[in-house]
Amino acid sequence: MSAPVNSVSSTKTSDTHPTGGRSVSSAVQGRSTAYPSSHIHASGHALPHDREHRILESNNLFHSWSNSPIPKIRQRAAFTKQYAHCPHPSHQATRTAINPDDPELRKPKTGGQAPAHVKYECPDCGIPVYCCEEHYMDDYEAHLEICDTLREINEDDHDLSSGRFFPEFTYPPRNMEEQLVNFTNWDTLLYSREFAAINQERSLRQATRLLTYPLTIGSVLHELSPYNIRRGGRLTVEGLKSLSALRYTVHPPRTGAGKDIKGLRMNPPPVRIFILGARAESSLPRDVWVQLTHLFHRVQFHLIFIGPESMMNRDAEFPLPERTPLNPFGAVVEDRIDPQLKISTFVEYYHTLHKANLFYPYDPYFDCFVLFHPGLGHPASSHEWEETLPLLLETKVPIIATGYTEWDMHRDLNWVKEKVGGEVDLLLEPGENIFRSLRWDLNDLDPQDISCGNWGLWAFRGKRYEATQKESEQ
Amino acid sequence: MPVIPRSTYYDRNYRQSEALIRARRPYLIKNALTGLSLFCFAVGVYSFTINAVAQDEFEDVIVPDKPVQSAHAPNASSNKMAGSAS
Repeated sequence: MSAPVNSVSSTKTSDTHPTGGRSVSSAVQGRSTAYPSSHIHASGHALPHDREHRILESNNLFHSWSNSPIPKIRQRAAFTKQYAHCPHPSHQATRTAINPDDPELRKPKTGGQAPAHVKYECPDCGIPVYCCEEHYMDDYEAHLEICDTLREINEDDHDLSSGRFFPEFTYPPRNMEEQLVNFTNWDTLLYSREFAAINQERSLRQATRLLTYPLTIGSVLHELSPYNIRRGGRLTVEGLKSLSALRYTVHPPRTGAGKDIKGLRMNPPPVRIFILGARAESSLPRDVWVQLTHLFHRVQFHLIFIGPESMMNRDAEFPLPERTPLNPFGAVVEDRIDPQLKISTFVEYYHTLHKANLFYPYDPYFDCFVLFHPGLGHPASSHEWEETLPLLLETKVPIIATGYTEWDMHRDLNWVKEKVGGEVDLLLEPGENIFRSLRWDLNDLDPQDISCGNWGLWAFRGKRYEATQKESEQ
Repeated sequence: MPVIPRSTYYDRNYRQSEALIRARRPYLIKNALTGLSLFCFAVGVYSFTINAVAQDEFEDVIVPDKPVQSAHAPNASSNKMAGSAS
């Protein structure tokens, strides 16, 4: 049961934050197959109908960004040349530094040359990175650090547009419950879930870029999760408490339910996963999100995408439904995806919905918040989280967050602690996400800023006190 | 079209694909050590058993020579062996 990948146009940076916006680079660009792509040839050879659509062969994937045979990539090159600034230290700084490795830190705040847009493309990686050849040669050592990764990004982007058949975008159905999933690393997970073998590294990168979103959540919630309370396992005791509550629900015991009248059983409500600040992940093909439910048996999931940009890349679904008393915020509800999955999308800030008590009551046995690279402490986006964060902590429901880098996550954690004066419990220590995207993405606004989806993972929750002090009568 | 169901983790010549080898990597050394220890245990059991049921060596037992039989005393010795009749 494999469905064709919906063609989703790649997102150019439509964000309003000039400082390396985080809303870039997440959307998938897959080829829409007009024919059912269900049969995977065992040896991985191209199927006969692949030939007609093939634009680029697999040994012809490296092209200079501006001279690429793919029009979309030429457009991106033009965009980059229009907006990105040369990182050479002789120019004046144009924005504040985002992290300690930012090349902006090397630039003088005042004086120095006028900031120039990038024009010169590195011959090794094909991406325009500097304004002229002299600056490129001068800053060569710094460029060498990312040159290989940029070349890989270049080839992977050409690969997505090459017109080949993508066997890695076909997903397996649910396995039987006794077939345990192995969460040690990507390869064991894909093998134990019976994905078709992904032998090429490039294909593995393309596949994990999408699968990281559902499988990161699954790897934390599942009882066979690789995060544990042993030393180096990153889970804290409070984390074990919160996750055990959730695992109690997502691994329900058998009830003897059957298809006849005698087999009727009371079913618990679905597990609600609130994905806040959703941007491109809400437009992921539904086949990908269904993979989350395939890890669990006899339990239903309700994914709720909340955020002002949650309808990004979903232009076909506009206009939004009307606001009626039954649907007061005009949510897009998709309840026919899978018997175990329902997806709702709200184009609102979370604090609006929380104050309207739309999802009240919150149960730590059923609910979970997930924040994919929220940029909580990022200067450009932290003001949007200010009002939401205390409300999240008030619910005492676990909040799983991901980040682009280690420094990113620690900055977010410090921001959270600062905002609520330390009234936060750490459930999972910040560190590398075992199920991160293996593919690096390029920020069109700043070629020096490369990131991979869900690089790091951590979790927190509002502090719970078992007993509180009784305030003395005045 | 009747096709033998084939796992994509093995190529046309039934060799393990790279995906399978990558999936096995965390367990290769532990499995090899387990296999080696099981093999040594089996070999140990075999060698002990074969050693234990092998024929005994009696080279160290000194068999005394047959006693010299004199002409006048064969009856006396046979009586002794038959028990006392008196």
